[in-house]
Amino acid sequence: MLNVENIDVRYGAIHALKNVSISVGESEIVTVVGSNGAGKSSLLRAIAGTTKVSKGSISFKKQRINSLSAPSRVKSGLTLVPEGRQIFVSMTVEENLLLGAHSRTGSEVKNSIESIFDRFSNLAERRNQLASVLSGGEQQMLAIGRAMVAKPRLMMLDEPSLGLSPILVSQLFELIKELHSQGISILIVEQNTKLALKTAQRGYILELGSVRQEGTVDELAADKILAEAYLGESN
Amino acid sequence: MLFEQVLQQIINGLMLGSIYISVAVAFTLAIGILNFLNFTIPALYMLAGMVGWSLSHYGLPFGLSGPIHWGLALVIGIICAILASLLVERFTYRYFKMKHGDATEHAIPLVSSLGFLLIFEYLILIAHGSDTRGFSTPFTNLDWKTAGFIISIPQLASLILSILIVAALSFLLSRTKVGRALRAIAENPDAATMMGIDVDRIVPIVFILIGFLCGISASIFAINYHEVSPYMGDHVGTKAIAAMVIGGLGSVWGAIAGGLIVGLSETLSIYFFGASSAQITVWSLLLILVVFKPTGLFGHNAIGKGKF
Repeated sequence: MLNVENIDVRYGAIHALKNVSISVGESEIVTVVGSNGAGKSSLLRAIAGTTKVSKGSISFKKQRINSLSAPSRVKSGLTLVPEGRQIFVSMTVEENLLLGAHSRTGSEVKNSIESIFDRFSNLAERRNQLASVLSGGEQQMLAIGRAMVAKPRLMMLDEPSLGLSPILVSQLFELIKELHSQGISILIVEQNTKLALKTAQRGYILELGSVRQEGTVDELAADKILAEAYLGESN
Repeated sequence: MLFEQVLQQIINGLMLGSIYISVAVAFTLAIGILNFLNFTIPALYMLAGMVGWSLSHYGLPFGLSGPIHWGLALVIGIICAILASLLVERFTYRYFKMKHGDATEHAIPLVSSLGFLLIFEYLILIAHGSDTRGFSTPFTNLDWKTAGFIISIPQLASLILSILIVAALSFLLSRTKVGRALRAIAENPDAATMMGIDVDRIVPIVFILIGFLCGISASIFAINYHEVSPYMGDHVGTKAIAAMVIGGLGSVWGAIAGGLIVGLSETLSIYFFGASSAQITVWSLLLILVVFKPTGLFGHNAIGKGKF
């Protein structure tokens, strides 16, 4: 479904991604793990089209999308739930969902939004309240709900568990599995490596802007350096 | 007698305020959505008035037609203001966004918009000289005299029109898909892009609205005060900025209140202290207000980048 081949991302003199290649198959959950500054968010932003790539190719549904604008990528079924949620706090919960469906037209939009309210009763109770009054967990649900109403084929999540309590984190990952069972492919960037590896099928370790290792989650979990650095295990 | 005279000045002030309302809304749109103090706004206002006058006086350039009906001339003037506004968008806002990622973090677009202000003003000066020109319409003596007061019917209609336009704009921003997209861009352009909002296609709408509002306001001025000049924008520009700040940045309804307050304080100041006192009164009022209420009367908590 998604093929990223040998991409480079530069911010002036900073070489954020070097020759990075990853792929996500149909109905697959793939994770990218790595420390702060490894280039995980840059990778997702490059795929979403909000950051330019200086080299390499990105294909989605077998079509090269390098030249597609970020809004066109959303329309083609690629959505990003950004780090820090970035919900629109000056707008109501319902308006946030309507914005999520911006690239869609027709009467189905309303049904999609109602299905989000059916799924998240907390959001339904606050549909006409400003999103700023939501708790951190509710804001994350709104961010995911907002991405869901865009009807994505591939949903990318950037650090979705950041700042959430353990109970909310496990609910969040249950939701991610549920999305996957609905046929949505997932690409998740996460510092909670244990949970990411538990949820995904395959993964990549990103280090200083390059892919250091890729494989099934079992293969990654067996990686000594990863185990020591991210899973809190030592010899 | 004095009381009646003051009341008449209050009426005149409110009517004058109707000129400032649309221009203040134009400023507040540019600041609120784009974080961009668009200095070309007074020139767009002037351009609409002068083009309207030129067409109604001479007709189309190169002798293509004789004098055009004043109404049609003003409509073409409004269209010219919109086109000029899009030109400003192309060479200030969009250019810097393309080159540097974010147009509003730099002072250069602001300076560029000042450049456009001067270029438009001097183009008109070259074409028509610096004289104030009379703009004739059939509404010269349409006054409504009631209870000893004189209310100009065109001015009253202008005030109602200004408020209706602001109401329509408020509806557009709060209830429509385009309005939601504009508010999303105002709050977080990056996140708006991730929602599939094509910022480069939506932003020109702001500039079209700015040109339209300036054109409407200039038309109202020409119809009510029967004159236009290459410097008409300078006068209204400073008053409209004051009206925007008094009403509250990023508040279209605040711009109505701000416009009316500025119009009132201007006419009352002239009545009591003479013509030169108007700017001192308006700007002193603004400075006092921002000390006690920096967000203006109806502004949001955040000063600067507005939230509609």
